[in-house]
Amino acid sequence: MLKRDLTLKLSTQARAPGFRVELHGTTFRLIASGAWTVAEATQIDAALKRLRVPIPPTPEFTGEMDIAGIAEIDTAGAMLLQRTAASWSAGGLRTRYSGATEAFRILIEEVKSRSGAERPKIETRAPLKQFVDDGTKAITGVGTDALLLTNFLGEVTFALGRMIKEPWRFRMTSFVHHLDHAGLRAVPIIAMICLLIGAVVMQQGVVQLKPFGAEPFAVNMVAILALREVGILLTAIMVAGRSGSAFTAEIGSMKMREEIDAMRTLGIDPMDTLVIPRVLALVVALPLLTFLGDIMGLIGGGIMAMAVLGIDAGTYIDKLHDAVDFQHFMAGMVKAPFAAIIIALVGCLEGMKVEGSAESLGQHVTSAVVKAIFLVIILDAIFAMFLSGIGV
Amino acid sequence: MILENGKEVLIRVRGLAKSFGAYQIWDGLSLDVFRGEILAIVGGSGQGKSVLMRVITGLIKPDTGEIELFGRNVKGLSPEDRLDIETRWGILFQDGALFSSLTVLQNIQVPMREHLELAQAMMDDLAFLKLAMVGLPPDAAHKYPSELSGGMRKRAGLARALALDPEIVFLDEPTAGLDPIGASDFDHLIQKLQKTLGLTVYMVTHDLDTIFTVCDRVAVLADKKIVRTGSPGELQQKPNHPWIKEYFCGERARAAMPATRAAAAAR
Repeated sequence: MLKRDLTLKLSTQARAPGFRVELHGTTFRLIASGAWTVAEATQIDAALKRLRVPIPPTPEFTGEMDIAGIAEIDTAGAMLLQRTAASWSAGGLRTRYSGATEAFRILIEEVKSRSGAERPKIETRAPLKQFVDDGTKAITGVGTDALLLTNFLGEVTFALGRMIKEPWRFRMTSFVHHLDHAGLRAVPIIAMICLLIGAVVMQQGVVQLKPFGAEPFAVNMVAILALREVGILLTAIMVAGRSGSAFTAEIGSMKMREEIDAMRTLGIDPMDTLVIPRVLALVVALPLLTFLGDIMGLIGGGIMAMAVLGIDAGTYIDKLHDAVDFQHFMAGMVKAPFAAIIIALVGCLEGMKVEGSAESLGQHVTSAVVKAIFLVIILDAIFAMFLSGIGV
Repeated sequence: MILENGKEVLIRVRGLAKSFGAYQIWDGLSLDVFRGEILAIVGGSGQGKSVLMRVITGLIKPDTGEIELFGRNVKGLSPEDRLDIETRWGILFQDGALFSSLTVLQNIQVPMREHLELAQAMMDDLAFLKLAMVGLPPDAAHKYPSELSGGMRKRAGLARALALDPEIVFLDEPTAGLDPIGASDFDHLIQKLQKTLGLTVYMVTHDLDTIFTVCDRVAVLADKKIVRTGSPGELQQKPNHPWIKEYFCGERARAAMPATRAAAAAR
């Protein structure tokens, strides 16, 4: 903001910007006063828009922007003055400035020379076209995602194969770090939710089976459910939310800050250092966590059975022996490594897809969790069909 | 309004002290910034040049000391007064610190949208004008910061800092990371904007060329305080501190100083 007089402090009243147009001889004079600054710009803008461009009766009429009364001016004020002067000139009035200090003149000249550049147009699309475009993109996006994920699986498999041949490529420290973060630190929360869900299912089972006099079979139901479905699904969903999102955020923020490009140029393969340790750590951690989830589900069911069925722990364990065998346990367990691969691959791949902005990071973290959970459930359904097909 | 030797003091810092853990970076630092000058803060690395900028702008709290901005002590300011001060300065961070999810045009309009009620057309006009004033082409307007080069990001950051026509701009290493031509262009841009908009410029810099080309005054940070202020020429002629001597009379300084350049041009 430029001031005419630095020492002068304007009262609120004197700050109010204003202008009037007078005709002196053959000169239309716009006499401006007050503070023409960005804070007052809306007001001046509206008033100037109401002002009609004077029509010169003969060509010798000229225009003048008398700004001797302006106490403060900034770019916004200069732009408004310049806009008015330009429209007067376009209307056939040669317009000049008067009463400008040196500083004001420099600013007005600068604004004059800088305004009027051609602006690029933003492409706008009709709403219907936009809708159809988005729809098409969403549908083809599924195909592209599948392709990318398959491609990524291939890359990881290749890197794993190479690692077997060249075992020094394996990053032990990184592997142990991820095992700790994705595995050990997930123990309390997974134990907690599986215990609670086991108890809830047992309680509901007893309530629902009671009318048929079949409440002792609630134990069979809980045992089979916990081992085949609930243990693995709950654990996988929890790990997708905890670790899948973390993988995307970690790799994504490295991608954003060009750390991954830096690694490549240093001859370090991000596959070896970032992806493989995470995938392997999850492949080890998820079955272990699933086992924990299974056991906690059974314990939760047992506690509830003791409370609502009135049986003791020994009887509960006997009943478990009758209800399940090793096959049921394995039917749940076999899914764990596959779920782990899905979660880790989706998490790492989404991280690699992050582009420059913080918004993009957020989007990819969200889509990593959503895709991982969705794919884990699809995997579960396929396994259910397959296992019942082979009679397990 | 505080006056000293007839010049208005925009920023007055007195007796500033700050430690990070056991490491004390300043003890009794004092500094004045006058209206209309281009002031460079120089000092060895770790002397807290950038920290000083952050303390003045209120991002970091000092341990002790007084800071007066536009004649008002920052301690105990009401939120409204604080906001008033914040709209009177513009800050250019080292890499521009543009909002990555907004286009350049939207970035420039953020302060206007936040603090003023302007019509969209008016904001567009102003933003395109600011864009042109910092020397960016109009087609940069709809690009995202990640699509710009480092130099363009700095210019866009400067345009955002100038969005509300501030009285003072803080520049954190404005020419760092630019090639010599880009850096020299940026120097001239700062000089031109300073003249056009009547700005006061506070810059943290290492760049001797910038100091000799555009700065009116240099403040040297060493030994936990501002050890000396003066014009670049004065500091070079009478360096009464080992660091100043090393900095202003070293090989690179001699190459950057105007007399040497004139001589080189004559040859």
